[in-house]
Amino acid sequence: MERRELLKIVALTALSQKLNALPGAAMSHMQVAPAAPTATAYTLQFFTGEESHLLDQLMEMIIPADDHSPGAHEVQTNLFADLLVASSSDVAKKQWRDGIRLIREEAEGSSLAEALRKAASNEDNPQTDLERFFVSLKLMTVNGYYTSATGIHKDMEYVGNTYLAAFPECTHPKHQDG
Amino acid sequence: MSKNENFDVCVIGSGAAGGVMAKELCEGGAKVVMLEAGKGIQPWELLSHKWPYELPFRGFRGEKQAPFYQGDIAKSIAFADSDHITIDRVRVLGGRTMHWNAVTLRYAPRDFKEWSLQGIEEDWPLTYEELEPYYDRIEQIIGVCGNDDHLEILPAGKNYLPPIPFRCSEHILKRATGAMGIPLIAVRKAVLTRPYDKRLPCHYCGHCMDGCDVASIFSTPDCMLPKARATGNFTLRQNALAREVLVDQEGLASAVSYIDTETRAEQQVKAKIVVVCCSTVESARLLLNSRSPNHPAGLANGNGIVGHHLNGHLNESLTMYLEELEGQKPSNQDGATDHVYVPRYNQLFGKTDYIGGWGFQVNYSSYMFPQQATRLPGYGAAFKQQVRRMQPGYLSFGSWGKVTSDNRNYVTVDPARVDAHGIPTPVVHFRFSENDHALWQAAKQSMLEVSSHMKGTVFTSFGNGPNGFASHEVGTVRMGKDPRTSVLNGYCQAHDVKNLFVTDGSCFTTSSEKNPTLTIMALSLRAADYIKEQRKTGEL
Repeated sequence: MERRELLKIVALTALSQKLNALPGAAMSHMQVAPAAPTATAYTLQFFTGEESHLLDQLMEMIIPADDHSPGAHEVQTNLFADLLVASSSDVAKKQWRDGIRLIREEAEGSSLAEALRKAASNEDNPQTDLERFFVSLKLMTVNGYYTSATGIHKDMEYVGNTYLAAFPECTHPKHQDG
Repeated sequence: MSKNENFDVCVIGSGAAGGVMAKELCEGGAKVVMLEAGKGIQPWELLSHKWPYELPFRGFRGEKQAPFYQGDIAKSIAFADSDHITIDRVRVLGGRTMHWNAVTLRYAPRDFKEWSLQGIEEDWPLTYEELEPYYDRIEQIIGVCGNDDHLEILPAGKNYLPPIPFRCSEHILKRATGAMGIPLIAVRKAVLTRPYDKRLPCHYCGHCMDGCDVASIFSTPDCMLPKARATGNFTLRQNALAREVLVDQEGLASAVSYIDTETRAEQQVKAKIVVVCCSTVESARLLLNSRSPNHPAGLANGNGIVGHHLNGHLNESLTMYLEELEGQKPSNQDGATDHVYVPRYNQLFGKTDYIGGWGFQVNYSSYMFPQQATRLPGYGAAFKQQVRRMQPGYLSFGSWGKVTSDNRNYVTVDPARVDAHGIPTPVVHFRFSENDHALWQAAKQSMLEVSSHMKGTVFTSFGNGPNGFASHEVGTVRMGKDPRTSVLNGYCQAHDVKNLFVTDGSCFTTSSEKNPTLTIMALSLRAADYIKEQRKTGEL
């Protein structure tokens, strides 16, 4: 079978599953990226409503909405955090609960923005529990946001995880190895 | 025990070694039973193309590869007195061929002669020249893309499939290595770049290690088992966890006792020949658990070598964001993970104060998640924009380096620690040698030097010591010329038990910087030819 003919068959697979005996589910990646999951009611498993609200505010400050894409609030990164922390060790749970308390207390004398600024002030070498909490909070925000449909498709404009008949070699003259 | 079946050969394990062995022996007319501790996964059950937001924990709990680690395999191991290493044991039909990256590199002639050429370790009981015809054959069977690059350090075949095209970042890396006199070549992988052996070519989705649903990457279930079944000589037992190789009064292998992990019933299959292909640690575990009056220290372990000489690869990685590419419009860079390879090069620049070398694998991780977001300082709008701007510049490369083979590194079994089926589990003892540390330091320094020839932001995560083994552990049932210091001869046949063979990575005498799987398959193919000959002459 010629390559061109074979590729044609593969391209048609989504329409005709029998052509190459590949199950439809296995070829689902050839279709366009699915829409973001429909929002369904999520019941908090670990954080209280107040804690989750505070997390939501903090995470939006870390990855805010801008004119390019929504931020952490819209993709409900706080609920992702709840799911992850709820299934973590007791030690991790305590660190999250204590961390939220610390940043809340810090904000009481100033503002949440100021408390976050202080928590982030020594990110490369955190020394206090508040500074260590920021590192965890930021990583959770990053992990939640950039694995969400919005983070992947709207913000990063990722175009992979799909079918290519051939890989496009870089032909830009500036990038060649000479 | 409810079954008592008779076969010519029992192959234990269905990974790279077991697949080759079963296919070849079935085609040679032997009645073969294969025992696999796991069960098969259908293509549509793979999670390769799932988006993170379609997975319960977005993939952070290993959901995509979870189907390859069935039962309690991930937990039934212990480490004692060990440096930072991981042992990759899967339990699934196809073994690690279900989630390998498919880099297929031949060992060089010098890799078989460490003692003769470097004065360390031991020479293998066979030479490159003896293995070369089997490299040729196995490359033809599995389909390998790449080029003959005419490099002494990385011998090549003559019939490769077309190479995978380079990404922009790989051209830029080649410019950097070229300036240092270091060759960079198209990777050699068991990934199809055109239709081959009734299989479809790669569609460049970038999920090689999560399982390939279209069989473009070589795996035992897709490529070997159909051929074995076609002979009518093949029987597969899944969910069959080998407990012990049983012996007759003369101490020869006579049967394999296994646990049906679904019913928990103990079963037996009788076979004239037993071939162990369970992977490096599991094969040693099985032999050590096979104790009898003839073999009180474990099967084929009269000299106490079984389990010893555990080694593998040490590796480090470096990530860059190339200024030249940053800020460009996002494009599909997933490809087939690695597209290029940097073969060992330190031998080109004179004598070193350590033995061995390393090669670079390049761009072997996904482009979907912006890893720089976990490394850049700060937060807020500027942080978010910076993450987005940097992503097109992504380039990662890692050094895979030789680890020396040392009798003091070993796997044993602990009768007090058993798995879910009551079988004693392995305990690993491993320390990197002085040579390993020196090589690791040199590799790190060289990676930084290569990166200094490119403009961009560099992130490293170098630790305080080497990491092992990058899923490339070898050496616990080593072959050798001297029966006092090895378990197997050059045909993977036990010195002590002539109808017992071990053909997975555990049979390696020493390791090099090259990924071991192609050599495992070539050795298994050679052993299969030997078994066929021995059966013809009545020796076996």
